[in-house]
Amino acid sequence: MKLQVNGKTIDVAVPAQTPLLWVLREEANLTGTKFGCGKALCGACTVHVDGAPKRSCVTAAGDCADKAILTIEGLSTDPVLHPVQQAWLEENVPQCGYCQAGQIMTAVALLRANPQPTDTEIDDAMSANLCRCGTYPRIRRAVHRAAEALAKAGAK
Amino acid sequence: MDMSRRGFLGGALATGGMLTLAVTFGCGNKNATRIHHADTTGELTANMYITVMPDGRIALTVNKAEIGQGVATGYATLCAEEIGVPIDRIDVKYADSQAAMRVSSNLQITGGSTSMKEGFKTVRHAAASARDMLVAAAASEWKVPVSECTFGDGKVMHAPKREAGYGDLTKLAARQPVPSKPKLKAVKDFTLIGKTNNRVDARAKINGTATYGIDVSVPGMASATMLHGPVYGAKPDTVDDAAARKHPGVIDIFATKYGVAVVAEKYWQAIAAARDVVVTWKAGATKGLDTDKLAAAMRDYDAEDGAVTFERGSAGKALGKAQTKLSAIYEAPYLCHAPMEPQNATVSVKGGKAEVWAPTQSPTITQAFVAEALGIDMDDVLVHVTLAGGGFGRRALADVVAQAAVCSKRVKRPVKLVWSRESDMTQGFYRPIYAIKMDGGLAADGHATALRAHAISQLIALSSQELLGAALPGIPNAMKNMVVDSLLAMFSTSSVGDLFATEGLKDTPYQIGNVLISASPVQTKLPVASWRSVGNSVTGFAAESFIDEMAHAAKADPLAFRRKHVKDGSRQARVLDALAILAKWGTAPALGIGRGVARHFSFETEVGEVADVEIVDGRIKVRRVYCVVDCGIAVNPDVVRAQMEGGIIFGLSAALDQEITIVDGVVQQRNYDTFPVLRMFEAPEIIVQVLESDKDPTGVGEPGLPPIAAAVANAIFALTGTRLRRLPLQRGLDESKGNKRPTAATDGGAK
Repeated sequence: MKLQVNGKTIDVAVPAQTPLLWVLREEANLTGTKFGCGKALCGACTVHVDGAPKRSCVTAAGDCADKAILTIEGLSTDPVLHPVQQAWLEENVPQCGYCQAGQIMTAVALLRANPQPTDTEIDDAMSANLCRCGTYPRIRRAVHRAAEALAKAGAK
Repeated sequence: MDMSRRGFLGGALATGGMLTLAVTFGCGNKNATRIHHADTTGELTANMYITVMPDGRIALTVNKAEIGQGVATGYATLCAEEIGVPIDRIDVKYADSQAAMRVSSNLQITGGSTSMKEGFKTVRHAAASARDMLVAAAASEWKVPVSECTFGDGKVMHAPKREAGYGDLTKLAARQPVPSKPKLKAVKDFTLIGKTNNRVDARAKINGTATYGIDVSVPGMASATMLHGPVYGAKPDTVDDAAARKHPGVIDIFATKYGVAVVAEKYWQAIAAARDVVVTWKAGATKGLDTDKLAAAMRDYDAEDGAVTFERGSAGKALGKAQTKLSAIYEAPYLCHAPMEPQNATVSVKGGKAEVWAPTQSPTITQAFVAEALGIDMDDVLVHVTLAGGGFGRRALADVVAQAAVCSKRVKRPVKLVWSRESDMTQGFYRPIYAIKMDGGLAADGHATALRAHAISQLIALSSQELLGAALPGIPNAMKNMVVDSLLAMFSTSSVGDLFATEGLKDTPYQIGNVLISASPVQTKLPVASWRSVGNSVTGFAAESFIDEMAHAAKADPLAFRRKHVKDGSRQARVLDALAILAKWGTAPALGIGRGVARHFSFETEVGEVADVEIVDGRIKVRRVYCVVDCGIAVNPDVVRAQMEGGIIFGLSAALDQEITIVDGVVQQRNYDTFPVLRMFEAPEIIVQVLESDKDPTGVGEPGLPPIAAAVANAIFALTGTRLRRLPLQRGLDESKGNKRPTAATDGGAK
């Protein structure tokens, strides 16, 4: 099976029903995407499939063939960060950090669909992503900060 | 086994008690080793924490686990401050298991909110010692007195124009004597401590490069999952693995005393095969356990008190004489930790030794678990500590590591074992179930004269070895002795009863003349353990709900009532005064909002919180929380704020919704749908004020949690007149629908 991950084509030999999460982690060696619950309840495994946020723990790899998959590793190229990642740094969001890749991927998708979300819209989009450390107030601020940064960049 | 090349000085260091700085840095007979190392590598290994690299960067070995609490940042700040380099020139690595690193009551452990309290002395001392060696080296090279040299920005300087970078001084510095008492900076001279607000580990955590236990990969590694029984301690009876073995990649499927292990080349192969394994189970240790019945029995337990853990005056007599008497029972359920990273470990067993890579809070306890599982010595277990996706106490136990070790031994390869979320929740070491019976007395002038609290709970640790066997199921015997010894040393107590059951009660700061605090043990076969803030997670709720009831019975303002009963000039008074201003206490809240206040002293830190709460369509909604903390010097103030926010939200998940219930031994909650964690739309705005202080740092990882449940319950009382005395509060509110403010006492309120 061929998958398009972060702009590269990779060839993987897995059954079609294998969860995308484990194909990314074990076959593509992209471990930034995390396993949290296995039931699409926590959002730690969120990646983009054709631009839409997907829970990779319940997404069959076979359903992603010929689609563009984006993971946290493909979001930016060091040392330049994506504006959402930059906002995360400036708000000191991460504590343990385990859920943050999923949070960031969800936030990027939110801002693409809705460049100036309200608090309520942020809550609606982000509430499917759990954080046990309690970084929610900072995530909310960081999403606003990223929205401002993206707006400024777009205005230039 | 590849021991750390920086470990060679370990043997020179004495281990010491938790509360003292009994660490000496180096000694004469190691100088030859240090010099040889410097001459061959260019590195100055000044002591077990600090190595100065030839490029001038500082390698800092942190003997704590980074579980999100910010210890890497805190220790890097302490190191940078004393050694005199910008913080971005510090490279943090986490210490492997080492005898010399067992500096917390003879354990190498992260817990009890002790990292800053310990590191504030040890890390600064280590960094200052290395710095003094560098300065002495430059002074001897320049043939000038040390006192004429200054340091900073990674350089030693001698006015007007001589300077040398730390990296160029390592070989000379290795030849300098190790200072026994390096001079530490005065608080007023700090340029980084108290002024640093970024985290050293943030970047790796937002770009996907941070390596957690679950991300470990070692050559030749296989991956495994473990099928656990429905009841804790259930062992496999029959295993039909014929279909599962046909799956590609399967290496072995076998029954263990923990469950059925499925080992494959890849984890996705292991979980696919595991679905086709059919297991029947023998009865587990907790068969028959029913939390509803247990809670009822604890509620009805009619002994007036248990083992006394604190007594002042005569509470019984004072209650008899009191003008107003109150009684109430507060209850709290079992809870699991549910950190976002599921339990996992990677172990390589070879030639009677084990090498471990694990997200663990305690390399020492991990050594003990693995040693017992394999029947080898603790010293033959080497533990590498990875980043952890949360800990909260769960990763102080190493059952998953023992299971991975058994898998590795069987298949003769390194094995990474990853539990399902369902195993994490059903195979937990839970926060104990509690019932706390409180009695209080008020004099005619409204002053509290008597307080009696009797905590009935399953015990985390007992000072009796015999009882401990029953109280700590699932924990190896060698570990039990070590845990007890360490806890006794840590808390300098040998009292009967539990070391944690009445913490937060027996040290009440309220100036009440007659106090009696006691504990009674409940024994079940369900394992219990520390859960963020330990006993305080329940005693804070009970103590601060009850003092609120006393305030209302005295017809006093709840914050003023507390303030009247704490000592002027105390941390409690400071925090309450600041909290009243921060929250504009005394101004009427908006229509539909109830305000509640609570405070708690834990891990030597005082935290006060005010919660603004409303009820929307029957659902408790916490709108805003004001928080004031006095934790001594805040090494990184923003990390302190983050820990308060985190403690409050972690505590709110428990206060509002979480409970582990058990029916016939079977844990009913298996994933985040039935064990809910607070989500973004329910997270309150949190306003934190960190009080300025020049006192040594005290805990921050846990103390934000204990007040929140009471603050919310007190707010609900203010809003509705309903007094909720059982956690989780939402369940209590649902069950109390239609209740009005009680006019006559039942089990609470004024009599």
